[in-house]
Parts: sequence; structure tokens; C-alpha cells
Amino acid sequence: MTKKVYIIPCSGIGKVYGSICRQAAYRVGNDLKPGVTAIECLPLIVKGKKEVVDELKKNKVITLDGCTALCAYYDVVNVIGEPDAQFLSTSVVQKNRDLKPEPTIYPLGENAKEVMEIFAKEIAEKVGELVDGEK
Amino acid sequence: MEKSKLILNTKPKIGLIACSGENLVEGTITRVATRIVVEKLRPQITTILCQPLFMAGDIKHKGGGKEREFAKIHKTITVEGCEEACGKIAVERYSAPAAATIYIQDIMKKYPQLKPESKEELDEDGLKLAEIVAEEIATTIDELYNSQ
Repeated sequence: MTKKVYIIPCSGIGKVYGSICRQAAYRVGNDLKPGVTAIECLPLIVKGKKEVVDELKKNKVITLDGCTALCAYYDVVNVIGEPDAQFLSTSVVQKNRDLKPEPTIYPLGENAKEVMEIFAKEIAEKVGELVDGEK
Repeated sequence: MEKSKLILNTKPKIGLIACSGENLVEGTITRVATRIVVEKLRPQITTILCQPLFMAGDIKHKGGGKEREFAKIHKTITVEGCEEACGKIAVERYSAPAAATIYIQDIMKKYPQLKPESKEELDEDGLKLAEIVAEEIATTIDELYNSQ
């Protein structure tokens, strides 16, 4: 059976980059790579809910972080082990200096949405690689 | 929506942790409701604690330890999107028992006509619920803040 790719965003609530992770995860799961991806609640993973942890261990995992604390990455490492890939939403802005996201956490501003779209495409590409690697 | 009350901040702030669960519309409601409280309803007397940073508290050089320290010495409210109560359990495990826990589903039961559907982007019902939840959080904040 083909493995699913779980996308785990940090969803940090203090800065817009966490919201970008959350929305990018939805964009990939709903539109760019539907059917082969799934999202799970980070707090539930950290809580150690057995069904969730077991499911993630059987599949591929990508973590998305909004700051260099890398909470989603470290939380997943602590509970599941090393993820198959990790992304940092701030890296999109480092590569696209003209796209400074608005600080609004909800709803996202126009620049933030654009950053999210670029970020989602990068993640979707990695999902494709991970899925292809399974075939 | 109730306007922000101007309060002279002489007492310790109240901490807020939203579950922010990604897999449920209720998680998105906790997130939006908490932002409404800290930005509009009670900005002077509250501080938001980042749930993932709190849970990854071992990353002390990045501030995770500070979030746990805050919750040890300040009253903290957790806002839960489901009965798993991840925020409440995390606060109790790493800091101190939460001063209060608000379960979104309990509030939603009082408003059965509101049926939020999209966890990605809150629809009209979701936004209405977020505002109702925010008001309930604000009421709890006032009780806790005034009792200090």
C-alpha cells in the first residue's frame, strides 16, 4: 500500500509565518496533492495519542515551521523520529525579498497569501518526490 | 463585539493558549477567538502563548522555556477545540494546572444554529462562533484578573 504524506504545520500563533504554514498545509492537502496527503494536529502528536503516533510512524512526514525554533520539527523528532522532510516558511521571503508578508495573523494579507502559495508549491514538489520514491 | 476595556495594567497578565488543532474547524475557531481577545478585547492584560513553542519547551535557547516559565507563575487559560484537551494537559504537565479551560464544543452546543464547516478559512458561522468564544474567554479573563 502506498504511504501517505502527513504534513504537520507548526501553526504558531504569535507571528504570521505560523499562519502561512497552516494555510500552506491546507493548500497542499486540498488542492495541490489531494489524496496522497493528510494533516494531523501537532498538539495531539505531542500529547502522544497512540493511534496518531502509530499512523505517522507508518507513513511519510513533512514538518512546516514558521520560525527558527523549529517546534514542529523538534516535536515530531521527539515523538516519531526524524521527519522525511522539513520546511521553514521564512525561507520563502529570504528568496523573495519583495514579498514581505503583512503581520496580520488572521486573515492573511495579500503578500502573505502569495508567500503561502510559493511555499505550498515547494512542499507539493517534495510530496511528489516522496510519493514517487514509494513506487 | 465588545470594545477593548482600558485597564491600568498593575497585576500580572493572564496567559492564553489556544489548541490551534489543524485537523478540526474547532481548532481554527480557538485560534481566531484567542487572537480577537489579545488584539481587541483584552490586549492590555493578556499575553498569548504559542502552543507549539510551549510544547517544545526544551528548546530553551529559542524561547520555549520562557513560555513554560510564564505559565508557572501566571494564571493561564487554555482554549480547547476537542475533548483531547491538549493545551490543558500540556500546561499541567510542564508548568502548573491551568487556571481555567474553555471547551469550544460546550459553547457550540449552546448555538446549534451555527454550523461552521471550513477549517481552512472560517465561514460566517465560524466567525460568529469565534466572536462568541472570544467574549467567553474575556469574561473568564476578567474573573481571573480581578481575583489577583
